[in-house]
Amino acid sequence: MILPPNLSVELAPNHKQGLPLRNPVLTASGTFGYGTEYAALADCQRLGAIICKGTTLEPREGNPQPRLHETAAGLLNSIGLQNIGVRAVVAEKARIWAGWQVPVLVNIAGETVDEFARLAETLDGVPGVAGVEVNISCPNVDAGYVAFGARPETAAAVTRAVVQATDLPVMVKLSPNAPDVVEVARAVEAAGAHSLSLINTILGMAIDLRRRRPVFARATAGLSGPAVKPIALRLVYEVAQAVRVPVVGIGGIATTEDALEFLMAGATAVQVGTASFANPRAAADVVDGLAAFLLREGLQDIHDIIGVALPGRVPEGGLT
Amino acid sequence: MIQARFPIVARDELAPGTVLLRLRAPALARAARAGQFVHVRCGDSHDPLLRRPISLHRVGVAGADRGGLQPDEVALLLQVVGRGSAWLAQRRLGDELDVLGPLGRGFRPEPKAGHLLLVGGGLGVAPLVMLADEAVRAGLAVTLAMGTRTAAGVFPARLLPEEVEYAVATEDGSLGQKGLVTDLLPALLPWSDQVFACGPWPMLRALRRLLQLTPAKRAQVSLEERMGCGVGVCYGCVVETRHGRRRVCHDGPVFNLDDVVL
Repeated sequence: MILPPNLSVELAPNHKQGLPLRNPVLTASGTFGYGTEYAALADCQRLGAIICKGTTLEPREGNPQPRLHETAAGLLNSIGLQNIGVRAVVAEKARIWAGWQVPVLVNIAGETVDEFARLAETLDGVPGVAGVEVNISCPNVDAGYVAFGARPETAAAVTRAVVQATDLPVMVKLSPNAPDVVEVARAVEAAGAHSLSLINTILGMAIDLRRRRPVFARATAGLSGPAVKPIALRLVYEVAQAVRVPVVGIGGIATTEDALEFLMAGATAVQVGTASFANPRAAADVVDGLAAFLLREGLQDIHDIIGVALPGRVPEGGLT
Repeated sequence: MIQARFPIVARDELAPGTVLLRLRAPALARAARAGQFVHVRCGDSHDPLLRRPISLHRVGVAGADRGGLQPDEVALLLQVVGRGSAWLAQRRLGDELDVLGPLGRGFRPEPKAGHLLLVGGGLGVAPLVMLADEAVRAGLAVTLAMGTRTAAGVFPARLLPEEVEYAVATEDGSLGQKGLVTDLLPALLPWSDQVFACGPWPMLRALRRLLQLTPAKRAQVSLEERMGCGVGVCYGCVVETRHGRRRVCHDGPVFNLDDVVL
């Protein structure tokens, strides 16, 4: 008798309740709304977890148009954190999530350390909220948002404040735009983060040839999609070697093969982001694909492939 | 909302770069309402990355003549403006399109409106034809005013239900009245109970100026913006309204003209 392979992972082993997921496939913040929008289409209860749209203390209107610009196998965005605010998330969305099997993490973004703490406090103990993902890396707004993710000291200060303000598991989302991502990762781990997710979008830009000006009002915007995958993979590979907490890989993951690369590079789980726009079932497809891969390879557990590509690990079952 | 692959069963090039595709798509045909749209994948690879929003142009109904459309068929009218639409325009009979839809909030005729005035600029006529189909079937009087640069871009009168009164303006005067579609409106507005429009921003601004002279006249407009997800999660396609920034894909694409900041 062949047992179905075990896909479950633990994303907060140092947390008292932990954050156990039935599989290592999450949806990335800003690409899956509040999970409700795609409910009719993709069976989101089958996912490992959903991470909701970046949430601030007060509702935000976001940036003026243009907000999107398609590039070669990529997407530049400058949304500017338009969202309904944390009170509406608690009042309207968490109530729905409380009846779901799939855990939902709230992505939080603040302009000050205190705002991050207040966001975490507001979500603490709310039924339906399984954890927070701390967004210290949004490139499309002024003020504190991105600056926190750029330096180890500020990233650690935000992490510490959030961990103190809530009993929820805390995942910290790192920016690829920091001068030294590995140093930020180490600092955030030392400050008490239960897991790290990376990468947020990479700063990029485009020029409007007709106007002879940058396409975006802020000139720069955040690049996502398959175009960023090799960069994201390299950063996950480096960070996974530098920290002991689970690392969640994000960046251009659209297929099972993409997810496998991140897992082998040391990610305990992955987030599917921009790919959901073209294929709302992309994350669910990856769940099925990972199970099929393990079966095909004669492996019983997803942990048999997590980190196998890291230096010093002897690959099991792989060709040599 | 469904996501499925539907085969192309007819393809007609109405003008250079303007293609009418008919899909056999029963599930989509049943759910579709005038003014809604579909989000269509334009290729099998990651490039172009995003789907393209295309207005629902027509749905086949048994016993009604809708430009030759069979029941269970859905028509899309598209114009080549970039890589995505170029790919779509090159599809052949039997090819399947990956379609997500129907999406968005469509046109909402008021129950007491007996005479609808539809105003289309260029390809903006596409969703209005479906509204005309539905209104005629409901026994309403429909006038469609359309404007384009030249005669080549005018939607063929033979494809419209014969009950529709059709008025045409071309900028070069090659068909209908010489001028803009909004030049036709002073004569048509007095007879209409409600106005529905789709077209470029200057046309919508001109329409608003005309309607300010008759404040009781209500108008709904279908708007266009670059889209990411098409379902309201990415906030890429917002427009300015009196109530703040609203998503074209989810809160629209049809808005009350009064609410839109033009």
